[in-house]
Amino acid sequence: MYLKTGVTPSASGSAYLEIETSAKPGVSGMKLSCSVHGPRALPRSAPFSPHVVLSTHVKYAPFATTQRRGYLRDPSERDLGIHLEAALRGAIIADRWPKSGVDIIISIVEGDQDRETSRSQGDEVWDMMNALSGCITVAAAALADAGIDCVDTVAGGVAALVQAAGDDSKPSIVVDPIPSEHEKILAACCIAYLPTRDEVTNLWFRGDLPASELELYTHMVEKGILASRNANRVLIDCLRETVE
Amino acid sequence: MASSQHVLLSPAELAYLHDSLSLTPPIRPDGRSPAQFRPLVAETGILPGTNGSARICFADGTEAIVGVKAEVERTAQRAGDDTVYLEGGEGDEEDVEDGEAREGEDKRKGDSAWVEMTVEIPGLRDDDSGTAFLAAMLSEALLADGEFAKRLWINRRFHWKLYLDIILISPPLSYPLPLLSLTTHLALLSTRLPRLKSEGDEDPFFDDDWAAAPYLFPRTPTTTTTIATTARPPITLLVMAVGNNIIFDPSKEELAVADVALAVSVTGSTAAPHADDAEPEPGRSLRLLSIRTIDPPSRLTPPGVANAANSAYGAAGTQKMLEAATAEVEAVEGVWKAPRGGAKRVVLGALVQKVLERGGVVDEVLDALEGVDLG
Repeated sequence: MYLKTGVTPSASGSAYLEIETSAKPGVSGMKLSCSVHGPRALPRSAPFSPHVVLSTHVKYAPFATTQRRGYLRDPSERDLGIHLEAALRGAIIADRWPKSGVDIIISIVEGDQDRETSRSQGDEVWDMMNALSGCITVAAAALADAGIDCVDTVAGGVAALVQAAGDDSKPSIVVDPIPSEHEKILAACCIAYLPTRDEVTNLWFRGDLPASELELYTHMVEKGILASRNANRVLIDCLRETVE
Repeated sequence: MASSQHVLLSPAELAYLHDSLSLTPPIRPDGRSPAQFRPLVAETGILPGTNGSARICFADGTEAIVGVKAEVERTAQRAGDDTVYLEGGEGDEEDVEDGEAREGEDKRKGDSAWVEMTVEIPGLRDDDSGTAFLAAMLSEALLADGEFAKRLWINRRFHWKLYLDIILISPPLSYPLPLLSLTTHLALLSTRLPRLKSEGDEDPFFDDDWAAAPYLFPRTPTTTTTIATTARPPITLLVMAVGNNIIFDPSKEELAVADVALAVSVTGSTAAPHADDAEPEPGRSLRLLSIRTIDPPSRLTPPGVANAANSAYGAAGTQKMLEAATAEVEAVEGVWKAPRGGAKRVVLGALVQKVLERGGVVDEVLDALEGVDLG
């Protein structure tokens, strides 16, 4: 994981994140770039807001995934934007900037996908979770770079319940899953976590779990928090480096 | 976004509401118990031109219509395990043998692209992120287990493409998620697809007798595995926590003081009672499909000002202004402050557990929806 802040001079805060998944050729990892504009005054026509108005844009570059994306944001990208907004809204101390707005723009330069294997069913959905956790981490770094007050640095983490090849093997929980490496993903969750406050600002779970196995769900959340703690360590190191 | 629409409540009203909802037991503004739903009116089969439709009207005046339309579509062929190559005689024979060997196996496949869901909410732009979020949440629940898309399989060359159009016909007086989800559930229950007459991988040919058309979700138990089960479409519930209380189906005002709000999608399948079953499973077994955090609009509410910091109140005017830091951090009893930060994981766990409780709200809602006449 490689994180650098202050890459876009014209923005008030920016960050660049690269996540390397494996040494396998053909798998490139994920590359994200985030810029934060603001806080700046809202247009005169906007209604009064006692808090900072957050707007988030997440966009895959047209060439980021195996299937080409258009230039307009499609529903899945809008969906990612809302998830990101929920994750960040909990972290920002919004009432210090009344009547102002902050724009957070993330472009996913390269999505994390295996180009060698043929597209298997439902893979994009699990890729979206990985993308979201990257988005949360990079946006937190850019917010810190922009000097916007937050209660804590928020970071994203993913955990998944996977089943290895063979029908009768017991499902296991992995941290930071790579969808193409596993035979079947039963469930996954993406968590945005504030380590010092021990709070979760965003939780996105998807999968198929019987209600009787609620411990499995609890374990997944724990693992997701673990993953986000790891991401947070990188984030803190990067910010400390910038300060020194 | 629909959930973050401004609520016209003053800080004092918000503080009052928050306090009364954190009492044990909580006192809700409309007198409901914490796990009680708003009363609703439901009917199905209202649109004759669709494969299935439903309308639900909540007591607060919000109303939604869902229409389900199905079209036959050619399945895009991808080279894979089950591709039949027409050239090469030896391969053909092998395939025949292979096909016989796998007779009992479930050959049906599904693709999430076979379901298209659109949500329309009056007063919101078509490209609003909020509606995209709602549509993604509802279709995610539907497709999470991968079983639903398999129902749309006709043969190896064709499938049904299902269009679910959800329209809220009243202004969004409360966060419309539970309403839309329940209406979709009913519409899917009433959906029927024409009975297939052709066999194998032929071009599909259907029975034109609508009365013979089977339901997408059959009434009678189907034996898929060892136990006979009747699967049901998922429902998505909105749950919120205030203090230590867990409140179901919050209204707009209640959501405005939520500490945390979750949308939890569950599905229930009833196991038919077997005569010679070793352990007859009572009731239905629930499955957790998806959870999403809803950004609670409480984060956007205006904060109150304590008397001590308010120069309009006599004595305070003579006092020195409070330090900015203390004014911001210290919570004063009865003065509203928008919640900051996230939710403790214990709270999140409790919310999910409460939803999945046996004999809880989900059972109640599913039972009630079961009672709707499907016409």
